[in-house]
Amino acid sequence: MQYVTGIDDHRTSTGLDNRKLLMWAFLGSDVMFFGTLIGTHLIYRNRNLSGPQEEILSIPITTISTFVLLMSSLAMVLALAAIQRGNMGSFRFWTAIVAIFGSIFIGFQMFEFTEFAHLGLTPRTNLFGSTFLVMTGFHGTHVAVGILWLWSILFASYKGKIHQGNSLQVEIAGLYWHFVDIVWIVIFGVVYLIGAYGAEGRALEDIPHAARAVGIG
Amino acid sequence: MTTEHAHVEEHAHPGARQYVIIGAILAIITLIEFGVFYLSIDPALMTWIILILSSSKFLLVVGYFMHLKFDDVRFSGLFFAPFIIMVSIGVVLMALFFNLTR
Repeated sequence: MQYVTGIDDHRTSTGLDNRKLLMWAFLGSDVMFFGTLIGTHLIYRNRNLSGPQEEILSIPITTISTFVLLMSSLAMVLALAAIQRGNMGSFRFWTAIVAIFGSIFIGFQMFEFTEFAHLGLTPRTNLFGSTFLVMTGFHGTHVAVGILWLWSILFASYKGKIHQGNSLQVEIAGLYWHFVDIVWIVIFGVVYLIGAYGAEGRALEDIPHAARAVGIG
Repeated sequence: MTTEHAHVEEHAHPGARQYVIIGAILAIITLIEFGVFYLSIDPALMTWIILILSSSKFLLVVGYFMHLKFDDVRFSGLFFAPFIIMVSIGVVLMALFFNLTR
């Protein structure tokens, strides 16, 4: 009778909800995707023969954007907790906050990319430009997709399609959003803080090292 | 009982107050990372401090905000298996290229 009632539509042989299982499988594959991008960036560190590199990273500005993204994650769990309690007003408020904070983060990233372009760093400038902009660009794309997802959930809630009974849909969107957050935690720590530490003093002395690395020194 | 109702009942997720406390801890760790960046210390030591702080943030978000600490262990397996592979490959490549703390 499951076709008639619809109650058992999501009962599975694993006992886990297939939609949540699929999201975790996707996140596992996305870990490998971002791992490749971050790994490539790290391997090509200090192998630039020309153009700006890590010394142009602005740690104060990126710390603020990191804080904004972390707080968006907090708002996301508060939105989930609200809808699980059946408090739709609170759910809508926190979901809107998540989307707005995500948009602010994108704004920071656009500002950073524009500044880099003014300083002469584009994807074609050097290895740092290629690997850094591709990596952070893909992350920004993930954030943008998350923002669209959250707005769609918010509008669907006004039409009655998202409610306490199917809060799992919000939980799955939340998993995606938190994943975007943890990827940025890694990028901020490894690429920004560790990468930019002492970068100004290192820039000049690295040229012979970079030349040797590419086999012309 | 629908599967989704069962889902809500199965996992006793933290409450809003605990989420706010974790959010505050995440903000404080980020502030510490920012402060550490401006210390004049050995780059290798700086690298380890940042790695430990970033890992703490990572685990807090994954464990509490993504509920892996409370959910079925198979979800953790799906996520951490590729994560461990990715980190292992990264560490090996870093060791090969001597490029992480330079």
